[in-house]
Amino acid sequence: MIATALARLAAMAYKLFAAVAVNQPCSVFRQNRMTTTLRQMAATVTAFIHSGDCREESFNEIACELFAFQFQHNRALQALCANRGQLSDSVSEWKRIPAVPASAFKECEMTTVPLSMRVAEFHSSGTSEQRPSRHFHSHDSLAVYESSLLHSFHSRLVAPEASIPTPIFLTPSPEVAPHSSLVHMLETIRRHYGMRSQVFFGAVGTNGSWELQFEKLFAALERAGPKTLFGTAFHFVHLLDRLAAENRRLPLPAGSLVIETGGYKGRSRVLQKEELHKALSVALGVSTNAIVCEYGMCELSSQAYDVSANGVRRFRFPPWVRFQIISPETGEETQENEPGLLRVCDLANIASALVVETGDLAIRDGDGFRLMGRAARVEPRGCSLMAS
Amino acid sequence: MDQMRPMDLPNYFLADLPPEAVISPAMITEACQTLKRNRAQYLAGRTTEDLIEVLDRIGASWRRPDYGLRRFALEHGPAALRFSRQTLERGLDDFFSELTAENLKALVIQEVGHPQRLDGMAATASERARNRSASARGPALVAHITAGNIPNPALASMIFSLLARSAQFVKCGRGTSLLPRLFAHSIYEADSKLAACIELAEWPGGSVDFESALFAEAGCVTATGTDSTLDAIRQRLPVGTRFIAHGHRVSFGFIASPSATGATARRIARDAAADIAAWDQHGCLSPHVIYVEKNGAVAPEQFAALLAEELARQEIEMPRGNLELAESTTITLKRDFYRVRAAVCGDSGTEPETKLWCSEGSTAWTVVYEDDPLFHVSCLNRFIHVKCAANLADALHHAALFEGKVSTVALAAPEEQARELAITLSRWGVTRICPFGRMQRPPLGWRHDGQPPLAGLLTWTDWERSEDI
Repeated sequence: MIATALARLAAMAYKLFAAVAVNQPCSVFRQNRMTTTLRQMAATVTAFIHSGDCREESFNEIACELFAFQFQHNRALQALCANRGQLSDSVSEWKRIPAVPASAFKECEMTTVPLSMRVAEFHSSGTSEQRPSRHFHSHDSLAVYESSLLHSFHSRLVAPEASIPTPIFLTPSPEVAPHSSLVHMLETIRRHYGMRSQVFFGAVGTNGSWELQFEKLFAALERAGPKTLFGTAFHFVHLLDRLAAENRRLPLPAGSLVIETGGYKGRSRVLQKEELHKALSVALGVSTNAIVCEYGMCELSSQAYDVSANGVRRFRFPPWVRFQIISPETGEETQENEPGLLRVCDLANIASALVVETGDLAIRDGDGFRLMGRAARVEPRGCSLMAS
Repeated sequence: MDQMRPMDLPNYFLADLPPEAVISPAMITEACQTLKRNRAQYLAGRTTEDLIEVLDRIGASWRRPDYGLRRFALEHGPAALRFSRQTLERGLDDFFSELTAENLKALVIQEVGHPQRLDGMAATASERARNRSASARGPALVAHITAGNIPNPALASMIFSLLARSAQFVKCGRGTSLLPRLFAHSIYEADSKLAACIELAEWPGGSVDFESALFAEAGCVTATGTDSTLDAIRQRLPVGTRFIAHGHRVSFGFIASPSATGATARRIARDAAADIAAWDQHGCLSPHVIYVEKNGAVAPEQFAALLAEELARQEIEMPRGNLELAESTTITLKRDFYRVRAAVCGDSGTEPETKLWCSEGSTAWTVVYEDDPLFHVSCLNRFIHVKCAANLADALHHAALFEGKVSTVALAAPEEQARELAITLSRWGVTRICPFGRMQRPPLGWRHDGQPPLAGLLTWTDWERSEDI
């Protein structure tokens, strides 16, 4: 009862303060100690990303510190925690940090960044959504996002000092898609390698959908030299459909990379992953081993890339990200090989909430996971209409 | 019959065959023709009184705790159908409590106006006065296309077809035939010749070859399913084949403000919890939403809290069945959504005040209260929306998308107000109104989707006699 009463109080406090001042530290909850700033937190996390430290204790220490920071500065998180009975900023273990559902990024401003300090705002994509998730960044948190993505890209795909095969990005450019975290990621990679700016071959259609500029794209693909082709699953389906319609193949030179990030968002027909990769391998003349999948979402600041062994693709996060697979029935962690919901603790999410309930189903496989996608639609067992 | 396993049931129906057994369209045609021959020999000449006596005995058997087939159903049903033993037991008890001679006689009178109408020419007093009489009977063969694993619609259809003197072929979806099968076996035990006029088989929906063979032989097809399933069946029926379709429906509850007072509210909550728990909310008679009229002694939000307590109690007495991953995921994601709203939203003024109550450590039950009358379809498995409404008209206005798709409304209102509300609901297209606690316990003669249960199967012969006899 007391916890419920406190939760109500916290929710009321949230509403009260939200109306007055957005995202200023709330004195009700502030602990009696020096307040960490976002900049300090960013420095700690960036150092950890660069350290290569994989130890659980180090991760845990930073995660708990980051949670305390976010609890103090993110009013929506405070209210959510209170609703779940977490009434202080103190936790002893990262697995005890209340997870924030991805839907919370749609419903409220899940951020520690005050309005005046926001320099970027990433939105989730998807045509069917009524309102997108929003992830706000300050200069400091954006720098952490960039460190994280570059570090992962270097570790998995192209070493920092190596030369990158010519990038051909299937998304629109940052100028026309300023709220896409994916586009920002690709732009960050482009800048890192000092490439010319004409690496984006997508456009934004009149209805906001992402389209390919086929003529330019085909011309670029036909130029000599290996390529880094990066796009979403629906981009690749559009590409395959166009190639099939023109009855042509576009074999990429040896050393080329194809990076596919999941998600169809209703923008093309849906292919099974294996089917898509097989078709890409035929059309682009690359082995399926040269196709890498990326898992990322607007609500997270780090990505997982997959590694393929014996025909099984397994995603792995970098060391500054840990995950749990949670049984949707019990809310407890599942056993190995038992499917459940993917919950991610991403230290690079410094300005929002570090533990996110992704809503994706996955199976733990060693230190990685296999993605099962969104929950399949349930067939009705009776004669009642089902919620869609 | 005490220790029967599934393989111990005699292979009397196609659905009794092991899963690896292959059936063919030719087998279905042959089965249908045999059924029709058996019907001519063993069923067509039976009297209504005689059939009611057999059905009454069957109902009495199923109500006996030591009845072998009932024990079999309760032993194997939970794994096969994913309802808890207690849920299944209550569902079967509710259904078979209605299967009595008295109710069957009332059904016949309700449907055809005379107890001997199905036996031969019969006349009511007013018909006699006009020198008229009439008889009615069903087609030689009725095909039932059943959906899902709630047995009531299938069992009721089987009963009505027997009374109509029709042979019947019951087609069940994969893995859902257990209870219709056991019911057919109970008919076999009671009267093997009647069972010779019944066939059951399982195959996946939309198996065109099988269904074409069946449809070619049947004079009437009954089907339960989604609109697209029903539409697909309708398009494949031969001209002249009668089609009785029951689409998927939703139901809800409405509590008028004078009813929402202390002890009454508690009783309504207890009854509503039973409605939600019955068949784990999968039936079209199960509520998705409970509207509570504003300005009663018990606020809508308080009613939601009472309902949560009662659902927790139901869970102890009658646990929900085990869910598949996709089902529990849906509940968890929905809970997450409403939990966020409950915690942090509402301050913007654009989102309704929201509260959530739910079982700890499981997805067994969930109550979501919103200070907003918009009708929400539930994700089922004991997940209920409680909503406030200014009045019934407000509730119906916000349920406009489901006009014509509502089966049952549970109504709690003082007698003087209830009649007016019932008329409003009937004009809006609601086909059944009942008290809370009875949503999933309709009487045997209830009119499913507003259609007559038995009369729809029948064809009449009117006999107008000359004046001079």
